[in-house]
Amino acid sequence: MFRDNVKLAIKNLRNRLSRSLLTLLGISIGIMAIISLLALGEGMQQAITGELSSLSDVIIVSTGGNAFSAFGGGGSTGQYFTQRDIAVIQRLQGIKEISTQLSGSALAEYNGKKTIVSLTGMDIAVMRLQYSTTSLKAGGFLNEGDQNKIMIGYGIAHDTFDADISVGGRIKINGEKFFVTGIFGKQGMGGVSSDSIVLMSSRDFTKLTGQSNISLIYLRIENVKDAESIATTIQGAINENHGRKDFATATTMTSILETVQSITGILQVVLVGIASIALVVASIGIMNTMLTSVMERTREIGIMKAIGATNQDIMSIFIFEGMLLSSVGGIIGIILGVFGSQGLTLILNSFMQMGGSMNLTPVITITSVVLAVTVSLMVGVLSSLYPAYKAARMSPIEAVRYE
Amino acid sequence: MSKDVIVTQNISKTYGKPPLQVYALRETNLQIKQGDYIAIIGPSGSGKSTLMNLLGCLDKPTSGNIIIDGSDVSTLNENELARIRREKIGFIFQKYNLIPTLNALENVELSMGFAGVDSQTRTKKAKQLLEMVELTKRMTHKPSEMSGGEQQRVAIARALANNPSIILADEPTGNVDTKSGDNIMRILEEVNKKGETIIVVTHNMAIAQRAKRVLRIQDGEVKEEHV
Ligand SMILES: Nc1ncnc2c1ncn2[C@@H]1O[C@H](COP(=O)(O)OP(=O)(O)OP(=O)(O)O)[C@@H](O)[C@H]1O
Ligand SMILES: [Mg+2]
Repeated sequence: MFRDNVKLAIKNLRNRLSRSLLTLLGISIGIMAIISLLALGEGMQQAITGELSSLSDVIIVSTGGNAFSAFGGGGSTGQYFTQRDIAVIQRLQGIKEISTQLSGSALAEYNGKKTIVSLTGMDIAVMRLQYSTTSLKAGGFLNEGDQNKIMIGYGIAHDTFDADISVGGRIKINGEKFFVTGIFGKQGMGGVSSDSIVLMSSRDFTKLTGQSNISLIYLRIENVKDAESIATTIQGAINENHGRKDFATATTMTSILETVQSITGILQVVLVGIASIALVVASIGIMNTMLTSVMERTREIGIMKAIGATNQDIMSIFIFEGMLLSSVGGIIGIILGVFGSQGLTLILNSFMQMGGSMNLTPVITITSVVLAVTVSLMVGVLSSLYPAYKAARMSPIEAVRYE
Repeated sequence: MSKDVIVTQNISKTYGKPPLQVYALRETNLQIKQGDYIAIIGPSGSGKSTLMNLLGCLDKPTSGNIIIDGSDVSTLNENELARIRREKIGFIFQKYNLIPTLNALENVELSMGFAGVDSQTRTKKAKQLLEMVELTKRMTHKPSEMSGGEQQRVAIARALANNPSIILADEPTGNVDTKSGDNIMRILEEVNKKGETIIVVTHNMAIAQRAKRVLRIQDGEVKEEHV
């Protein structure tokens, strides 16, 4: 009976070709949305995870609650680490290197206009880890040993002074001349803003300001496994130094990774949720098509019952039709989804050019394909269940009505 | 004496509720034997189709019992009724009632499919039946590509597919010309000669005269006509 049902279903769908194709299109679009959004979410997850896990031996110690608030720039809590804190860390076992991020403010002058800017000093190596080359709009990175050279944010270059600053431009900071080697792209709403950053080497920073206001300690450890315990020790020791329980937060990349993963996880659920709306609409489409078909075939159903079809025979005929529609639609949807995710990624990548350090590649997993196939089959069955039930309940007397 | 294939006990059928109630069939008692060839005649609206639909288990009587091959069908559930229709009864309609999306061969195979016959046996049997009704050349034609007479012969082949014990034909010649009508009746008579029970509704007295028994219905009352 299985093969007969398939044959019968194909014949009936072919008989109403344009309607079948339109219904099929609906389900294809739904599945396409799911596949491409899943691929995008997965790509995003992998890109972020990949980037962060290369930093898994890194611990960031910041003042206040959140590593992100101090990470990478401007935002300073007004509290700084002391040399005693650094000394505590240096005494610990298993630490490969320590570097610091210094924060302060200075008077900058360009083209005759003076304004206060916030300064960030960093070791060159740390700089390279924190900012990827793609985040630069113009120019290049500072190099080890560079003196009196700075990198500036988009806002400093274009919105702070009367005239735009370009690479090679000269800014006076606290009376000293600095050359701009690189300008960051506009970051806008992106998480950590580097728009108003003025970035120089730690050495220049100390020389210029005579201060060493450490806003962030950045350290690498020898063994990734010790990350959590070292972080706890450091946090405890520094808090003790300052006599407060919440002075410092030591964040490992693993914990950041977990946070990010849970965020991208939520994002994926949201994306799939949105795609599911398309699928719900599509399944209503199937139901509608099937109901119309049942109405049109009232007589045919009556005839089949009159020649001995059981209710189950009739039901399975219609459910098969629904399943065939949705599974063919699903397969087309998967193919479209493969292309769709590429397209979507292209668009997203061009939007994220402004400071997004990562380049997305869509990742289509076996799981998402299996999910799509299962979902489309289920949609087919569920949405044809009611029409099939209605068909099965028709009476054989319909065969001889309207004579 | 051959056995009874259908016995009706006081069956009646009414439509609608009391003030506007229509008696389509009044207390009818019939005994139909294996191998009978019965013609049912009567004016339009007299209840011929009503009786046929009841005998064919397409509809249920308002009261009374129908016994087919020894079992009382009023006690059967829907699936058991479907089995009776599939195994014991072959229905031939005035308007052929073939499935429009299927060709002649597939239409004949369909009821065997519902009976669970495997596809090879099915195709073989369907071909034999179509040969018998002289449609070997029309096997792959859809109903829309055949004449009324040809469609009705496909319908006969379909009705015979599951070797039913009773053939019910409600005005099988009503929509075809005299020549095709004769052809159809000749086929049915041949089937009857092989022992099949045939019940035919007709308006055509010439056809009715060829039957072994004639039942006349008037206002829902069935009377045996003695010829
Ligand atoms: N579904 C129905 N609802 C109400 N009345 C019905 C229904 N079906 C049939 N009838 C009535 O029952 C009576 C018998 O109808 P039936 O179809 O059996 O007549 P018939 O003898 O087959 O007529 P014809 O020769 O025109 O086919 C008629 O009066 C008809 O109007
Ligand atoms: Mg009638």
